[in-house]
Amino acid sequence: MMNFEIDLDSSLRRFRTWALSYRGTITLLSVLGLLLIPPISGSEYYAQVAITAMIFTVFAASWDLLAGFAGQVSFGHSAFFGVAGYVTAALVRFYEVHWVLALMTGASVAVLFSLLIGIPCLRLKGPYLALGTLAFSLILLNLFMMGTILGGTEGISGLPVSQNLFMDFYLILAIMIVSLVVMRAIADSNLGTVMKAIRDDETCADASGINTTIYKLIAFMISGFFAGIAGSLFVLNATAVNPAVFQPLYSFYAIIMASIGGLATIYGSTIGSFLFVVLSESLRRLADMALLVFATVLILVVRFADEGLMNPILERSQELWDKIRGR
Amino acid sequence: MLIFGTIQGALLALLALGFSLVYGVGGVLNLSHGAFYLITAYVFYWTIPLFGMTISAVLALAVVVGIAAATFLALIKPLQDTHIGVVLVTFALAFFFEQFVKVVGDPRTHYIVPYVPGPVEFLGVRFQAQLVILLVGSLILVTLVTLFINKSKIGKSIRAVSQDAEAAKLMGINTDLVMMTSLMLSALLVGFAAILYAPGNFIAPRIGWGYLLLAFAVTIFGGMGSIPGSIVAAFIMGYARSFSDYFISTAFSEIIPIVVILVMLLVRPQGLLGKKELQ
Repeated sequence: MMNFEIDLDSSLRRFRTWALSYRGTITLLSVLGLLLIPPISGSEYYAQVAITAMIFTVFAASWDLLAGFAGQVSFGHSAFFGVAGYVTAALVRFYEVHWVLALMTGASVAVLFSLLIGIPCLRLKGPYLALGTLAFSLILLNLFMMGTILGGTEGISGLPVSQNLFMDFYLILAIMIVSLVVMRAIADSNLGTVMKAIRDDETCADASGINTTIYKLIAFMISGFFAGIAGSLFVLNATAVNPAVFQPLYSFYAIIMASIGGLATIYGSTIGSFLFVVLSESLRRLADMALLVFATVLILVVRFADEGLMNPILERSQELWDKIRGR
Repeated sequence: MLIFGTIQGALLALLALGFSLVYGVGGVLNLSHGAFYLITAYVFYWTIPLFGMTISAVLALAVVVGIAAATFLALIKPLQDTHIGVVLVTFALAFFFEQFVKVVGDPRTHYIVPYVPGPVEFLGVRFQAQLVILLVGSLILVTLVTLFINKSKIGKSIRAVSQDAEAAKLMGINTDLVMMTSLMLSALLVGFAAILYAPGNFIAPRIGWGYLLLAFAVTIFGGMGSIPGSIVAAFIMGYARSFSDYFISTAFSEIIPIVVILVMLLVRPQGLLGKKELQ
């Protein structure tokens, strides 16, 4: 995927073989199904649920890229999410910048922040790194809660509400697909191989002449960029932002969704976040019980599906499909 | 102020000791540590009207130790090999207990009446008599646990496993059992912290996270897995918090543990008395 001399004919052919393979067909069918949500249901509610799930997909995938491939477990991903969200909100609300520009600025600021967090924290390893990033996001949370920066505890609200929710739906779907494909391409490229080498054995990677610090920083920046995109989209969609976006809960959401889907898969995040969002929406009727049931499901999934849900399910269903077709 | 610092330190020592122990022995980052506090406080609160103070305290401790054992057998042991799995499952468990308390009880804040009534005056400072119990209880417990780990046979195997789990296993130590014991011990300590500190204070379903963060901060400050380190760090942190309460503002003392974590991680990642790990 990384060779840039694009030969249209052969890539078309490659696309056909991929689309006809089992995984390709499933992927295309799911995308088609998503595309059909607004026209078939015609309800803004379903579209909104799907939008939330898609935004979280990008967020979870960005965490997966950092943790699953580069092996740097971050507990403070909400920092990137929140910073980008705040920047976007401030630009749109106070300076009336166009949302695309605001989105890109938000994501770039998130990249800067990932450098800011990454440079001191990358001296740390394993649980220490996780805690260092967690501490950063908590400090941001407290700063925004305490001070009067950008609206204090109230945050910024009253962003322009979009005219057409279905339009947003398709836009966000496009952004999600592009981000996922780009992340997967990064993971499959040489850069991805280097990241995997660092994850598997950092000392050995260092000894093989890989500048581990630089590559870890690059991984942090890429991950921060996509987390920033997710944060900006989230804020634009919610039309408001408050310090709660920094709370560790959001970081854990990303971790949970990525691991439900399966670590180091990138695409698994879609399954994780759709399951997560749909489950929490459908359980809303149970009010207080909802989160209890949700926590139980979570414990069971983590306990019994340590590979995540996506790959095992795909393999099983493929076997079944092959049997049905009589192979 | 010094007295409040000492009391804070005593509480933090109870919280952090168990956390540090579990991390040191099995490398398990137990995110449900705060939830253990929560569940003890609530069981205690619920059963007081039924059985009275002493019995419900014992009951609450028994429940939390039982939960710790069950957690280890059902959740942590099968997932031991995947580091992230343990973190996730303990996080989910903490989340579960928070919601459980919300559903079974109610989300409101409650107040447990202290079982030692009345304020005490000491060197011109007035404070709740309950806090004296906390101080004394904590000192006794910390001494007992330190003795237990240094002198007893199980303590010896706990130390062996924390030094080198594989070698300990080869020497015929049941590492799983040792891990379970240390998790139960940690639950016992945090349970005592809850029983000694919760009366006279407010409890609500969300409090678990705050105590988890405190335990975290102290453990990192003192060095992950170092028991004397966490005790020293607990008292330093206690004084720091009460000083900032007094001189700066209460809001600021909330951030202190986080800032301490960060500075400590950057300057000396292995903590005050931690051992440096070889690669």
